[in-house]
Amino acid sequence: MIKLDKVSKTYQTDKVETLAVKDIDLHIQKGEFVCMMGPSGCGKSTLLNLIGLLDRPGAGLVHVDGVPVKTYRDKQVAHLRNSTFGFIFQSFHLINDLRVIDNVELPLLYRNLSGSERHAMARDALEKVGLGARMEHYPNQLSGGQQQRVAIARAIVGRPQILLADEPTGNLDSKMGGEIMDILLRLNAEGTTIVMVSHDEREAKRCGRIVRVFDGQLVA
Amino acid sequence: MFKNYLLTAYKVLMRRKLFTFINLLCIVLTLVVLMVVTALLETSFFPDGAEAKSSRFLQVVVLRSESPKGNAVRHTPLGFKLIDKYLRPMQSIESLSAFTTTNGVSVYQDGRVSELRMRRTDAQYWKILEFTVLEGRLPTLEDEQLGRNVAVINKTTARKLFGAGPAVGRTISPGGQALQVIGVVDDVDELHANAFSEIWAPVTTFPSTDYRRQMAGDFQVILLARSKADLRQVREEVKMIAASVEFDDPKAWSRAVFWADGKLDAFARQTIGDAHTEDSGATLLMTIIVVMMLLFMLLPALNLVNLNTGRILERASEIGVRKAFGATSSQLVAQLVIENVLLCLAGGVVGLLCTNVALMWLESLELIPYLNVSVNYAVMAWGLLITLVFGLLSGVLPAWKMSRLDPVHALKGAI
Repeated sequence: MIKLDKVSKTYQTDKVETLAVKDIDLHIQKGEFVCMMGPSGCGKSTLLNLIGLLDRPGAGLVHVDGVPVKTYRDKQVAHLRNSTFGFIFQSFHLINDLRVIDNVELPLLYRNLSGSERHAMARDALEKVGLGARMEHYPNQLSGGQQQRVAIARAIVGRPQILLADEPTGNLDSKMGGEIMDILLRLNAEGTTIVMVSHDEREAKRCGRIVRVFDGQLVA
Repeated sequence: MFKNYLLTAYKVLMRRKLFTFINLLCIVLTLVVLMVVTALLETSFFPDGAEAKSSRFLQVVVLRSESPKGNAVRHTPLGFKLIDKYLRPMQSIESLSAFTTTNGVSVYQDGRVSELRMRRTDAQYWKILEFTVLEGRLPTLEDEQLGRNVAVINKTTARKLFGAGPAVGRTISPGGQALQVIGVVDDVDELHANAFSEIWAPVTTFPSTDYRRQMAGDFQVILLARSKADLRQVREEVKMIAASVEFDDPKAWSRAVFWADGKLDAFARQTIGDAHTEDSGATLLMTIIVVMMLLFMLLPALNLVNLNTGRILERASEIGVRKAFGATSSQLVAQLVIENVLLCLAGGVVGLLCTNVALMWLESLELIPYLNVSVNYAVMAWGLLITLVFGLLSGVLPAWKMSRLDPVHALKGAI
């Protein structure tokens, strides 16, 4: 489903050049729940961003469903992000000016759907994460765990094939973190491929596969 | 999606109220000044009302007389003799009106003295200009030929001199000369330079007939062409006539220079142009006005670009999220531009309201007598267009810049 072929990424500031990931080969199969682990700054998030097409590799190729994304134009990449991926961020990245339901509808805005279709899909997604009663609330009226559930609802509302979660429990206490993991596991059981970045060994053990990253490279 | 754009735009604008207020103020102030100036210019140069036929008339306002050696020059209004002898026989016009400039007169009435403006006109004046008669009638050729001591006054003067009672049939004494009021017309503001006055009397009410023998005097003329297409021909004929003028005292004045000008040309000639060249300076004047207006618009627009860039940069994370979930660059540009256009349209609506208030205030100040100017639909449309240009100018650049960001950088807020 996703294949990284000798992918490297370097970040360059005025004077410093940082090699974030180097010559990564990775293959993620449909239906997998992959957990990427490693120390801070090892390149896990960079790898996740490259998989999710949020960033472009300096070298190597990212294949989605067998097609190298390098050949895609910006508009095609945006379409692929919308149709194939769902993102969950550590700091939620909800839009505080919009109601919960409007936040969840956001990915659907970029599809050719009517307002009522969007609303119905967003309501279903919120009910799936147990927040059907909070649709009219604003994000800052919710707890951290609830906000992350809204973020999950936003990520799954478009029924993506792959969920990419960057430390989704990093800002939550263990109880809330456990609830989020339960939701992710349930989604995976329903057929969604999930790639998650985590520092937590207990969470990693609940995933189907662990990928360890160190100094920008995969380690056994 | 458009509804969502509008909703987001509203929320964003309400998030930073002071910021939004400063932006709005910037737009409103600029619009108000532009629209007030436009309204005044339009009333001055493309008037309606009494001077509704101005699109097909030309004016001769100033006579430049030059001495044979070229060492003496004078600029004066035209004399009645020059008009009668040289301009009245013109072939290319439908009609001609000669009338004096307005002069201040003291009018004594019921123990009170009023300082008023008065001009003397021929009978044709009332046919070329279109006054609204409120009471009585307008002077006729017969009144002029018989030298009847009659006058027309405007509405405000009638109220000032005679209160709520009828004015027609009453007598006024401008400068001590008794004139019977035969008509009352609606007020005309001073921007209608040819029509404006408070008292009008036939030219034959002059106490002396000396004016008939003057080449340079106190008169100007309106030359009404048969159609707009004839204006060029009228100009050419006037030019030829000016070259043929012979003064009564050729040793003192040997060359006459005058031009048939439209209202804008006449104004330009008296402000930045000159009386001895055919070019009135109107093109230069319009260029100056347009450049000043553009500059006046450009500076706040640049300021808005700056302010909006800051406002949009604050929303890097939101833009990152939208890109991550599939927004294309063009969709983001559309959203950010809609926010700006919405702000500018709000500024436009407030600006239009404020313009009306400003115009009413200007009218109440009475700096320009009887000023009666309002925002018409054309000016309003221009105002809205200007507002939209503002919206696009100040929104597109920052929006385009932000839309080009990689989502991963935008999410980190690293611009």
